[in-house]
Amino acid sequence: MTKLVVGVSGINAVDNPGPGIGVARSLREAADLDVRIIGLAYDAMEPGLYMDWVVDDAFLLPYPSSGHDTYRERLLQVQERTGMSFVIPTLDTEMPFYMKYRKELAGLGLGTFVPTPEQYRLRGKDRLGELARALDLELPRTEVVSSAEDLERAVDRIGIPVMVKGAFYKAYKAFATKEALSHYHKLVAEWGYPILVQEVVEGDELNVVAVGDGEGGVLGRVAVKKMWITELGKIWTGVTIRHPAMLDATERFMAEYRWRGPMELECIVDGDDVFLVEINPRFPAWSYLATGVGVNLPARMVRRALGLPDPASEVRDYPAGKLFVRYTYEMVTEMDRYQNLITTGESGDRAREGRGAANKPGDAP
Amino acid sequence: MQRLRSLALNPDGFAFDPTTGESYTLNATGLVVLEGLREGLSSDELAARLTEKFEVTAEEASRDVDDFLDHLRTFRLV
Repeated sequence: MTKLVVGVSGINAVDNPGPGIGVARSLREAADLDVRIIGLAYDAMEPGLYMDWVVDDAFLLPYPSSGHDTYRERLLQVQERTGMSFVIPTLDTEMPFYMKYRKELAGLGLGTFVPTPEQYRLRGKDRLGELARALDLELPRTEVVSSAEDLERAVDRIGIPVMVKGAFYKAYKAFATKEALSHYHKLVAEWGYPILVQEVVEGDELNVVAVGDGEGGVLGRVAVKKMWITELGKIWTGVTIRHPAMLDATERFMAEYRWRGPMELECIVDGDDVFLVEINPRFPAWSYLATGVGVNLPARMVRRALGLPDPASEVRDYPAGKLFVRYTYEMVTEMDRYQNLITTGESGDRAREGRGAANKPGDAP
Repeated sequence: MQRLRSLALNPDGFAFDPTTGESYTLNATGLVVLEGLREGLSSDELAARLTEKFEVTAEEASRDVDDFLDHLRTFRLV
């Protein structure tokens, strides 16, 4: 079996976890794929850089916002160093780059499985109304704003409390217009425009992770109910569910938009009312849950992208009632790993030669 | 009733709704009533079953059944 070298970003397994570690673990667990994982990180302290039982080699990259040329150049350096032939971007801020250069990267031997820029735009936060209608879901009253005056008017129309949401990340609840304005300025400074002002709807947070085949079909999907979330709103405990309206909406989305790649459908459900929150164009940080119940979406995506067959053991469906429990874990390792990352921008098997690897779960202390 | 039938119910009285992910705990009385409802028993039949299994009067059993059904309606299970 030829070694498949796959780059995975978002290996920041912190309190606001990136999706990369779950994606990398999933690929490792696909028995039919002989995978070498290249972690693509942005900071020398991203824990995934040190998790050598998940990530084989890791490289620091410049932020995509530092310029596409610089980013591409570094990516090609990593390719040259490792033989990386496929990349799974897992962060929202990376998507514009990978969508824009998809064909060029493919020509250079770097495969991806990402949506087209048009598909990406159609599910944007500023198009939620159309999206909700297409998926037969309800939408909390939502206004897209691009000035402080717009925001004040939107808050007046919607009524307090409101959610103030950034273009890529973060959402804050505001109980007064001044508070909403403060969130607005913070979000604009961090993530730019547009900003959304949205009615607060109460209910359970139910999400679906899925991968579209780009031709209207679904390679697999799993729904979760968030049972326990962190202060940042991140799932810590969840349970698989089979919510017909959400699973139908996922399939309709794939069929109507011919979505290519991973996605996460986020909804708030109150009885029979299913409110669309947003659709993220990437794997969520909890996607290992799907792998755990037999629906290994990263592996299915890689096989589809490379034209490989799914093994007969792949299940099409999954059981409800499987519990997802996240936990924290610590390791102790050598300081020179950090130093190497700072000075050379990489870590991995070659960098580790001559010293012991970090302990992994299950190793004797 | 479909929601009620789809609940995963264990003998200790833990019920899981696979559609919404909600879970519930039932006492012994609740478990008997819920199992009876899933069998399609009427309110009177449920009350009769309670009087068979527990030391309660028909009046108390009937009140308990009504109370339990109110709870199920609150949770939108019936």
